[in-house]
Amino acid sequence: MEGTGGGFRKDLVSKLLRLHFTDSKTKVSGDALWLMAELLTIFVVETAVRSVRQAQAEDLALVDVDQLEKVLPQLLLDF
Amino acid sequence: MEEEEDGAAEEQQRFSYRQRLKAAVHYTVGCLCEEVASDREMPFSKQTIAAISELTFRQCETFAKDLEMFARHAKRSTINTEDVKLLARRSNSLLKYITEKNEELTQFNTEQKAKKKKQLENDNTKSVAPAEAEAAGKDGS
Repeated sequence: MEGTGGGFRKDLVSKLLRLHFTDSKTKVSGDALWLMAELLTIFVVETAVRSVRQAQAEDLALVDVDQLEKVLPQLLLDF
Repeated sequence: MEEEEDGAAEEQQRFSYRQRLKAAVHYTVGCLCEEVASDREMPFSKQTIAAISELTFRQCETFAKDLEMFARHAKRSTINTEDVKLLARRSNSLLKYITEKNEELTQFNTEQKAKKKKQLENDNTKSVAPAEAEAAGKDGS
């Protein structure tokens, strides 16, 4: 049961989490890693879709950093 | 002087490791954004993809520290799926989705386990069968 298509890979998620742990004894179970990969994929896709919607509302042909900036506050409150 | 150099080299190594992880995140984010862009027929500028990558990388720091604290609060040193569910607490629909995925995962795991068990049993009966046949042959003679 691998992550969906172009989602995050388990080993990358493991390394990303380990980079920020303050205690070196902290471990992550395999199921938790798989679920974290799923969560991170949702985070990225949600960010992308909200930015696209902002760009559509402004009647633009390209999503730029301005659109991302506008959806960022609510996005960070939701995660 | 030598120690200083060692420290600098170590710092340099840590920095390049971080950059490599960032590059991996950038690649994944690029793929996901590409999917969304073709789906909604709305392309992303390169800077936007880079910004989303940086955002995701920094969000990982918050996630990692939260997960570590959740596990420690439960007096565990291993992070499990309950901690991840707690991480998704702020949005109802996200929590629901993650809970569903978790149930799917446990069901998949139990199925795999059952399959393994069945295979093991099959192997056992196979190895037992010839012995029984042999025993029966001896009885016959």
